[in-house]
Amino acid sequence: MRNTFRKMLATPYALFMALFVILPIILIAVYAFVDSEGAFTLLGNFKELTKEKSLVNVIKNSVIAGLSTSLICLLIGYPIAYYLTKKEFNRTGVIIGLFLVPMWVNFLLRMMSTKAVFNVLGIPLGMGTVIYGLCYEFLPFMIMPIYTTLLKIDKMYLEGAEDLGATPVKAFWKVTVPLSLPGVLSGLTMVIIPSITTFAVSEILSDNKIKLLGDFIYNLKAYNLNMASAISLVLMVLLAVSMLITNKFSDGEQGGGIW
Amino acid sequence: MVRKIVVRLFIGIVLVLLYLPIVWMIVFSFSDTPSFSNWNGFTFQNYIDLFTGQSSNASRIQEAVVNTLFVGACTSLLSTLLGTLGAIGLHAIHNKRIKAVYSTSNQIPMINSEIVTAIALALLFNLIATVIPISEGTWIETAIKLILAHTTFCTPYVLLNVLPRLQKSDYKIYEAALDLGCTPAKAMWKVVIPDILPGIVVGALLAFTLSIDDFVITKVNVTSFETLSTMLYGLKSGKHPLPADIKSLFSIIFFIVFAAIMIMYSPKRQAKQNK
Repeated sequence: MRNTFRKMLATPYALFMALFVILPIILIAVYAFVDSEGAFTLLGNFKELTKEKSLVNVIKNSVIAGLSTSLICLLIGYPIAYYLTKKEFNRTGVIIGLFLVPMWVNFLLRMMSTKAVFNVLGIPLGMGTVIYGLCYEFLPFMIMPIYTTLLKIDKMYLEGAEDLGATPVKAFWKVTVPLSLPGVLSGLTMVIIPSITTFAVSEILSDNKIKLLGDFIYNLKAYNLNMASAISLVLMVLLAVSMLITNKFSDGEQGGGIW
Repeated sequence: MVRKIVVRLFIGIVLVLLYLPIVWMIVFSFSDTPSFSNWNGFTFQNYIDLFTGQSSNASRIQEAVVNTLFVGACTSLLSTLLGTLGAIGLHAIHNKRIKAVYSTSNQIPMINSEIVTAIALALLFNLIATVIPISEGTWIETAIKLILAHTTFCTPYVLLNVLPRLQKSDYKIYEAALDLGCTPAKAMWKVVIPDILPGIVVGALLAFTLSIDDFVITKVNVTSFETLSTMLYGLKSGKHPLPADIKSLFSIIFFIVFAAIMIMYSPKRQAKQNK
């Protein structure tokens, strides 16, 4: 077995993942079903959560912010990704790089500068500015997967459609859009859940008026780890479901990551 | 023709909006005022103060920079090591089920919400603290916690950068090295590693930048010191949220990052990669 040595090299990271990825998730599941004294409770933490008066508002805000952010990112991101795959707009690949650079600037810094710009322009802080900030933060995460899926589409399909009499517009809707759906889906999953669970963005861009799920969990963590675990567990289940749906749509093929 | 202009304009406007806050900050880093709106004459003073340690936040900034770079460097080292070995191992494993479990576990930290990962790691560190008695709140304890936490979410990116290189490289060369009498370890070091080195380097850089930039996981697990991100967060509600020296510090960081990325995406390098 000449492969044995190479296979063994997988062990250190396997052990690391067991300790730092798998075990923490098990801990979340355990904490979610245990009260603060350590006794088992099936729904106790979830019931406590429903008693939190602010939670209804937090969920309402998160749904509004998450949906509008992903919709706006899609409406802006798709055309950009589409035109940047064309040579006439992105000759050397530098333009697509320009969309990625802001991601490497600390997001707190970008949000604080954005707030300063809003203040100077006299724009009142509120839900609108929070959604603006979230779009700013997550737009590259929508552009990149769509861009990489669009690049992979074989041009022959489009030529075929046009040879068979489709107008360019029709060919776009009937060929390009369906073939780029996996990228759109993976873009959406990369925007919706991260956008409602970031914390600090809404805090900075609404002067602490609007709280999203991320802010809620962060504040909860300080005084009740069990409730924080319960809500984290719900989020993980939601995420797993959305991943399953995405995988089903893209037939197990990756929609194309951002890196 | 009209379409071309409209598209260019659209792309241009979005780019302007993306860069406006950054440019705004850089412009005001040359202004002689802590505020963000009143231009008070051009000056290099903020930059000079930053380097001579005379600015208002000098010692705080210095500490945060040292902490951030230390955690970033250690994270980069550890995650590059784990990720590279993991990728080589994963590439050699042919059992489908093991492969699936391995790559799924690898993806969890990338997909999971940051705040959930942060809470999960906080629970783990609580558990570890009950087993191993470590004095809490010391510099070294926080550093180790942050390095381990950052390694958890950085290693997946390293592994996914190295794996495609392995898939492209010719496995027979490694076999030939073994046939010619190399030990597996030596063949690995002399043949496989040089072949996948570009992937390893990009992975290491990525891990470094991700670690430096991280806020959520750091904020939840940090106990005794500040990194650049948590320092920024601490300044957010001050009278002048971004003091002059902070503006100049992050302007410098921006220029370094901008240069690095433009080199990474430059036409020359892309052409090389496509070969």
